[in-house]
Amino acid sequence: MAFLEVKDLKVHFPIKGGIFGRTVDHIKAVDGVSFELEKGKTYGLVGESGSGKTTTGRAIIGLNNITSGSVTYEGQDITNIRRAKSSVRKDIQMIFQDPYSSLNPKKRVLDIVAEPIRNFESMTKKEERIRVQELMELVGLSPESILKYPHEFSGGQRQRIGIARAVALKPKLIVADEPVSALDVSVQAQVLNFMQDIQKELDLTYLFIGHDLGVIKHMCDHIGIMYRGRYVEEGTVNDIFTNPQHIYTKRLVAAIPDIDPNKRAEQRAFRKEVQTEYEQSFNDYFDEEGLAYDLKPISDTHLVALPEKG
Amino acid sequence: METNKGVVDEKALKAQKSPSGISIIWRELVKDKLAFGSLIFLVLISVFVYGTAIFLDQDEIVTVDLFSIHQPPSEEFWLGTDYGGRDIFGQLIIGTRNSLTIGVLVTLMTGIIGIVFGLVAGYYGGHVDNILMRILDFFLVLPFMMIVIVFVAIVPKYSVLTFSLIMTAFLWMGIARLIRSKALQEKELDYVQASKTLGSSNFKIMFTQVLPNLSSLIIVTMTLNLAANIGLESGLSFLGFGFPESTPSLGTLLGYARNPQTLEFRWWIWVPASVLILLLMLAIRNVGEALKRATDARQRRG
Repeated sequence: MAFLEVKDLKVHFPIKGGIFGRTVDHIKAVDGVSFELEKGKTYGLVGESGSGKTTTGRAIIGLNNITSGSVTYEGQDITNIRRAKSSVRKDIQMIFQDPYSSLNPKKRVLDIVAEPIRNFESMTKKEERIRVQELMELVGLSPESILKYPHEFSGGQRQRIGIARAVALKPKLIVADEPVSALDVSVQAQVLNFMQDIQKELDLTYLFIGHDLGVIKHMCDHIGIMYRGRYVEEGTVNDIFTNPQHIYTKRLVAAIPDIDPNKRAEQRAFRKEVQTEYEQSFNDYFDEEGLAYDLKPISDTHLVALPEKG
Repeated sequence: METNKGVVDEKALKAQKSPSGISIIWRELVKDKLAFGSLIFLVLISVFVYGTAIFLDQDEIVTVDLFSIHQPPSEEFWLGTDYGGRDIFGQLIIGTRNSLTIGVLVTLMTGIIGIVFGLVAGYYGGHVDNILMRILDFFLVLPFMMIVIVFVAIVPKYSVLTFSLIMTAFLWMGIARLIRSKALQEKELDYVQASKTLGSSNFKIMFTQVLPNLSSLIIVTMTLNLAANIGLESGLSFLGFGFPESTPSLGTLLGYARNPQTLEFRWWIWVPASVLILLLMLAIRNVGEALKRATDARQRRG
């Protein structure tokens, strides 16, 4: 039994039009996505902006309504997580992309980090304060600063407060929605390493959403590549980075910058080559609407959306 | 992690505590001499008026005394008497009390209705917003003045409370729309989404997460509304659509000035009330402006 199983997930947003605001069409933000998460591992969702990766994460945690499909967590159906049992809701938490808007500016850090504790656990004021201070220490912030407001912290520190809040209930799964894309590079490494540390410490499972392939490679065990709401390729880090099969994945992997200046010309030529291949074989790999085909296994772990004709 | 490691002594915590919103507002008020003076003036006036009014008997003051009509200020009548021989000073005290009470009551009631209405409409959005806003639109198109005039004509006796209620029924829409528009913005922010994933109910998010972020707007709007409501009540009473003479307010005292004789020769009847209205409005506005500045870090002086 998989830890978290997403089956044929679809999230469609209606387009209203006409005089009476009728639904004229749908935007298929996520259109038939299936994957499984293993406990203690990190699963990466990658794709360009608008590919539906964030929507997938938000649908799992209940911030977007699921049009069809199902989400199963440890055997329990949590497709409608807002109605799920509180023990399940406790287990799944989220880290947000923007550390500036995800913390309530009018609340002190104590109140922000204690919010989930107050919702799910009954603690006295004193226990709660001690717990928050422990959490602050866990994320490497000074326990004395719990009476400060979020605006007194830097972006990286604020993101750690967000993480402290997410781990306050000792969850089992954390949906991390581009947790470092709003931070500068030096802080990114700090936050990512820290996320890996607490993963070991608390035996967490991450659903890591991102577009930075370097970060994804560093963090994840399994990767799913999305394009226009559909999967184009799925596999282990090795499968994706050393043996990309789909033309879209190839292009993504080719786009990773190489820091060796001697290879610059080589890289450029390679990228050009992939670009030409992408343009030439686009019609082979995508259907008439420009969408990817269904996934087909090419090895035990590796699935690719290869065209029907073969 | 050791258990006692998380415990930090209270002193270290206090030292790190950053000022709350209220202390920032207070600092701004103290820094702005004019606003601080206005605040002291308002407090003194209210304490004096409400304190003195306890010892004054409204019925006795409004009883007509034909032997002392139109007396100028004297030892017995500090501010003279009106055409019914009623003591102006007593009426001024009771009138200020009534006007202030109405102003505060109307502001509070419109505030509460407006905040809840606007918050619910803005937070839920969609159909809920649509329905609530159409209800609001209905209230908005009702002719306020005409209904108040009709109300005055058909209700034989009304008190401060009923008059406040009728005013409230037509004055809550402004603040409701203001709160709604701001709530529409706030609910899109990530901290609201975060609260949802952390298991807070919609009700809890609305009133403990979103509402504090609207607090500055609410404080400023309600302060400025207070001045407006006192003015509105005085205006209605001046026109004769407010309180009858048996329930004095600042407006009824002003209303005596509609008589040219009173306007020209008996200044003691209407000048004190006019000056008081002017000062009250200015003082409330000064405080309101200081509060407004306190909510915007760029304009702060303190």
